[in-house]
Amino acid sequence: MGYSRDILTIAKWEVKRSVGTMGKNVLPVALILIILLIAVTGFTAKSGLHLQDGIYKVGTDDPDFAALFSGDARFSVDLADPGTIQRNQDYYDLMIFNRVVYVHDTDRGKAAAKTMERDYTKYRSNVYNQQSDLFAAYPLWIDVQEVVSELDFTATQSGQQVSLRPRSSQPPVPTGPVEPVALPEASIGISSEELRSSLQQSTTQTSKVSRYTDMFSGSESPLGTYKTPDQLSPPLPFDSIILVFLFIFPLYFMSQFYMMSIMNERVGRRGELLLSTPARPSAIILGKALPYFVGMVGISALLTLWIKASPFIVLPLIPVILFFLAVALLIGMISRSFKELSFISIFFSTIATSYLFFPSIFANIHVVSMISPLTLVVLTLQGTAITATDYLYSTSLFWLSALVLFYVGVVNFREERLFSQSDLFAKTSDFIASTLSLKRPYISLFLFNAFLIPFVFMVQLMLLVLFFNLPMPLSLILLLIGAAFVEEIAKSLGIYSLIRKAPEFFTWPVIVGASFATALGFLFGEKLLLFVTLSQITESVFGSILFTSIGVLWMPFLLHFSCVLIIAASIKKGGEIGYGLGLLAAVAVHCLYNMYLILGWFS
Amino acid sequence: MKAKNIGLVMKKDIKGLGHERTILLAILLQLFIALFSSFLMVGLTSMYDPTALQKNSTIRYPVAYVGTDSDLRDLMASDRGLRVYDMELAPAIQSLKERKLAAVVYVPDTKSDAVDPVKITLYTIKNDIQAAVVNVKLKDSFVKYEAELRQIRTERIDEEPIPLDIPKSTGGSDFYEFVYGLLIPLLVIMPAIISSALVIDLITEEYQNNTLETLLSTPIRANEIFWGKVAAALIIVPLQAGFWLFLLMLNGIMIVNAPQILAYVTLAAMVLILVASITALYYRERTAAQFVYSTAIVVLMLFSLALPDNPMNIIAKLATGSAGVEQWVVLGLMIAVVMILSVLTNLYAAKSMRSNLAPR
Repeated sequence: MGYSRDILTIAKWEVKRSVGTMGKNVLPVALILIILLIAVTGFTAKSGLHLQDGIYKVGTDDPDFAALFSGDARFSVDLADPGTIQRNQDYYDLMIFNRVVYVHDTDRGKAAAKTMERDYTKYRSNVYNQQSDLFAAYPLWIDVQEVVSELDFTATQSGQQVSLRPRSSQPPVPTGPVEPVALPEASIGISSEELRSSLQQSTTQTSKVSRYTDMFSGSESPLGTYKTPDQLSPPLPFDSIILVFLFIFPLYFMSQFYMMSIMNERVGRRGELLLSTPARPSAIILGKALPYFVGMVGISALLTLWIKASPFIVLPLIPVILFFLAVALLIGMISRSFKELSFISIFFSTIATSYLFFPSIFANIHVVSMISPLTLVVLTLQGTAITATDYLYSTSLFWLSALVLFYVGVVNFREERLFSQSDLFAKTSDFIASTLSLKRPYISLFLFNAFLIPFVFMVQLMLLVLFFNLPMPLSLILLLIGAAFVEEIAKSLGIYSLIRKAPEFFTWPVIVGASFATALGFLFGEKLLLFVTLSQITESVFGSILFTSIGVLWMPFLLHFSCVLIIAASIKKGGEIGYGLGLLAAVAVHCLYNMYLILGWFS
Repeated sequence: MKAKNIGLVMKKDIKGLGHERTILLAILLQLFIALFSSFLMVGLTSMYDPTALQKNSTIRYPVAYVGTDSDLRDLMASDRGLRVYDMELAPAIQSLKERKLAAVVYVPDTKSDAVDPVKITLYTIKNDIQAAVVNVKLKDSFVKYEAELRQIRTERIDEEPIPLDIPKSTGGSDFYEFVYGLLIPLLVIMPAIISSALVIDLITEEYQNNTLETLLSTPIRANEIFWGKVAAALIIVPLQAGFWLFLLMLNGIMIVNAPQILAYVTLAAMVLILVASITALYYRERTAAQFVYSTAIVVLMLFSLALPDNPMNIIAKLATGSAGVEQWVVLGLMIAVVMILSVLTNLYAAKSMRSNLAPR
């Protein structure tokens, strides 16, 4: 009872304090700015975004085409007689004479030609969809049916292009039982007027702003799965950009307030007062976070209402909110100055945004996109049902890491940590060290490394996203080295912090024991989390490099153990420099192990 | 005002940045974004234009053709990226599920000159990147077949569009617009935004840590402190933006007119930094100042993007090499704006920093 009352009291203080400081000076200005923002947004919607205006030069003697392409602001069109244009032909990217386009042989010229092709296609569809006989203008319709593959996506990503490179000219023979399939109807079953209106809808979306907002209309196109050949392209990724701005930006903003509130407690040791109250550190932290959490969930819910989407959108956002708050807490506790706070938070937000955003671009194309909770948001918006497994799969890492980060914040919410002015690396190391106990070093190292796994996975999945599109041998090698680096750094964190804290405690037998505990904890956490969530990715070759999941347990254990031992021994021998060298050696050992055992090289 | 004193304050703040090693984070960030944008480029290019990547060009995707024989079959067979098999529907779909095929096309026996359209059915694999690639490949054949059918039914069309012959462009220039029209302007303007946030930190820190009084007790005057901080924030902008351009060029992206781009970025940064420093001087407290400033910057950026020939647009034009005389006119205008703003800010800074020092 007392505990939750403490949280509520502190939450009330927090609200009062922020309203007090923000109230009389900021609110009027903010109000004016918001009115200005609405006005400017209206103005921008009307005049369009002029970012790419006039980057291509077009010269023509045909007034029809001059008028047509002047409609696209990217072209600056000159209407003149052929002689004048030809005299300046190096100036123009495209020249149109006698209904033929001449392309200047540069990158810009080629890009201009592509843009013109798109514009011309749009113009042509505009003419065709006015026709009284629609099926003469659009004689071909494609009904796209998606078939769920029985093999999971890892088959194509495992590097062997399975059977997609046939050697024989014989058609493939299915191995599984062949189920009867009804032949599709030959007639289209939709009236030509319905088709026309939807065609016109898709060609009138010329405004640069409306293109971004269309996906929020929410309704399925009346065409269903029917497309004309021109419409047969992968879905544009740009909608996701807007999604990120809409949902993630306010969350990021609110977490900044929390970060500042924590930081303000440290400026001039103001927080001493709060620490001297009987409230426990965890109650202070949670109490201060509560108003912001409620605010963030509230904003997300309002946005959901505004775009009239399913309320389930908020569910995948909650772990993201918690994760943002946990990170904000730690950044607020670690930074020494406002500058540092700004830089770290910009750094973090860029990385977090890319982790959330880039996979969701591929929402409809590749299962790897599921590592981002935003993909769930995109899918829900599109009306695809989300299963509990999907939810677990893409949010579990966020839940776990938010919890771990909050824990680290709580144990370090003490005077000597909050008001110390040591630098970033030393402080991070102190923070880690205080989560570990010297009385029970082995158990704490075991637990620490087990709890480190969600972060390791996040970074490694990020590497996977980064590299999976590169050509095959290169992506594999980069992933191999990158993953080894991440794992070795992660494993060394705990033991490094402890040795730094109490160098005399670490005799040689203790170092061996600590390495043993570290390796065991890492392996335990790895197996547990893999078992629960990530079985899909780990089945592929990429997965086996990332998470060493193949093989009997003692082999990866031996690897982890010897690598940690190398690092720990080098720290004891050589201090900071030894740490760097030991890390490199351990990474090398790790890479060799992966190459030999998993990829079967040099054998 | 003495330049020497301004230099002293600037050096102190720059040293602070170096000492905290925060600038390292900024550089790391740039490397990270450079890496990610190259990922985006390669990934998206391979998705939208599979022929652009050499490694895909040798692959022939197996596709089943089911139903009535038509010109579409010949068109598909003549595509060197496809290998066409004649099959029955049920085994074809089962093979697709087993990934022995990349797609299945079913064509009914609708006559090419019939009143109704020809409705073909395309089966692809759900949630698969290769399906997206195959769709793009098949699209070519479909578009050609559509043109053929249109030709057959041409008498029923009342008004033909004016024909225009656009040569098929070769090479992966599809993301030219993305790189030059979006990525470069946004990337080079980022240091300006970071620096304007930095100047708020530099100013509010002196108030909130009560260090301003100490500084003011030295022979350095209030205005000199202020301009020293502005200079510290400004000087890192061209360095960072230049580093960006350098990274982009390493990535093989040609950028002409780099000096003008840097001039534009520095001037834009100066405007932002001055607006930010006025906000910071007014609030003397970071939370409020950053909040008001970041809202203001969104308004400012949106407004400027809605104007023709705005600085971001000129940067895009400079990068592509298509900027004309207008670049000098806008440059002159920006210099004028910076000068007027500087005079105003100078007046305000002198007044504000002499009055009492408590945060508002």
